[in-house]
Amino acid sequence: MKALTWTGINEVSVEDVAEPQLLNDHDVILKIRQTVTCGSDLHLIGGYVPFMRAGDVLGHEFMGEVVEVGKAVTRRKVGDRVVVPSFIGCGSCWYCKKELYSLCDNGNPNPGITEGLWGQSPGGCFGYSHAMGGYAGSHAEYMRVPYADVGAFLVPDGVSDTRALFASDSVTTGWTGADLGGVQPGDTVAVWGAGAVGQMAARSAMLLGAEQVVVIDRIPERLQQVRQFIGADTIDYTAVEVTAELRERTGGRGPDVCIEAVGMEAHSPGPAGVYDQVKQQLRLQTDRPTAVREAIRACRKGGSVFVLGVFAGMVDKFPLGAMMNKGLTVRGAQQHGQRYLPRILDHMQKGELVTEHLATHTMPLIDGPRGYEMFKAKTDGCVRAVFTP
Amino acid sequence: MALTDLLNRVTTRATSVASGAGSAVLTAVQHNRLPGIGGASVTDDPAVSARRWRAVTVCVPELPGPFPELDALGPRIEVRTTPAPRDLGTELAARFPAGGSSDEIGELRAALRRTKQLIETGEVLRVDPQPHGHRKKTPQGAALEGVAQTAPREGVL
Repeated sequence: MKALTWTGINEVSVEDVAEPQLLNDHDVILKIRQTVTCGSDLHLIGGYVPFMRAGDVLGHEFMGEVVEVGKAVTRRKVGDRVVVPSFIGCGSCWYCKKELYSLCDNGNPNPGITEGLWGQSPGGCFGYSHAMGGYAGSHAEYMRVPYADVGAFLVPDGVSDTRALFASDSVTTGWTGADLGGVQPGDTVAVWGAGAVGQMAARSAMLLGAEQVVVIDRIPERLQQVRQFIGADTIDYTAVEVTAELRERTGGRGPDVCIEAVGMEAHSPGPAGVYDQVKQQLRLQTDRPTAVREAIRACRKGGSVFVLGVFAGMVDKFPLGAMMNKGLTVRGAQQHGQRYLPRILDHMQKGELVTEHLATHTMPLIDGPRGYEMFKAKTDGCVRAVFTP
Repeated sequence: MALTDLLNRVTTRATSVASGAGSAVLTAVQHNRLPGIGGASVTDDPAVSARRWRAVTVCVPELPGPFPELDALGPRIEVRTTPAPRDLGTELAARFPAGGSSDEIGELRAALRRTKQLIETGEVLRVDPQPHGHRKKTPQGAALEGVAQTAPREGVL
């Protein structure tokens, strides 16, 4: 079958690879109907997460049709149209029972790597390096999904493939940030990043009852999408001073909840951006935390900052003093998609949560390398490139 | 010897060394004491570490045993189970009372993880064989393969 693979730093290719097979009794095999680029793939492709092996199949946001079922699978059958969260949860360990699925004790077969890096191992993730389990990703014609009874969710009638596709990661990640960030009815929520995850964090906050939601970015077409499809306000950080603007919009308090949906390759104008770029290239820090710093500074006293963008290691100039003295709650997580997908799919079926506009470019898998080029450079208004194997 | 043969030999040797180095790097990372990186719980003191209880918490109220994965390590290990606080389940711990080598402790970690998985999910999760493209034979790639092969036996457990 065809699959899109990482072949070296800033190189991806479409190759002929073996088809996946059932390896465990709780597995299913999916025929991928749609699979999509994600900003966090760029960290892998660019070599910022140094646990990729040439030939690894990329992709962790996908939906498809069940074509083969392991003998212990009871809730899924051949022919089911399903969406699957990018993080792999067994459903049986303490973390899964607490609905903290991305912290699954059993989903990462390579726990020694992340225990070494972080002191504990989170769960595994499809197509996301050998540090996160070394699973083959979704940019392929077929894909193996372990623990299918826990992670493969039926797509309701009336929900299009493209709408459901983003429930695999963008929406579930956004919802995780809004929910665990503690959004309450009446809150003001600021979201850094108007990519798919930021947009979905904003929409999730609105569905959880936030009164005012503001999304911060610099890309005009993305900010336009926020206003048109999400119904949130926007701030162009290249045109105004973000913290002053947020203070003005919140009676001088600052947002109740600040969600960072940017990650380790944050763009920043001015000397701070140059500083972070230089330190990252010299490997004196692994990640650029520009938006996290600003979120901590902007947040109201006693408020909540949620780190939703992907970070891998160390950052510099973390405003620990502001965090401590302002009494902030700072939290982060990969997505706990299995916890939220039933509600998300229900909102999608009712038309309250739409995602089709994110798929600005749809193309065959064979054009995947071009799709990633456009996505990385944000050319032609590319928000996400969707591949149809 | 043809030049290509020589190059192939050199490359093969380099990747072999790199694979071993990758494994060693992962082990070293677990043992470092740089601020903010790594676990260090395995190297508090080599003599203590060799005898320390290593435990997983299994999310079931009781663990009656037997534990074939641990039994396979032979009579030199000691096993105990203890109720965990609240709803966390049961702690399953094992150690080499007379001290274990680094390799033996690695096998103990892997056996504890497999035991936990078998009890909680009924299976040991596999990841290979699976689809992949061309694996270029580079020292970096071989080093990563060494890291991945060692990872189930490494960590702070």
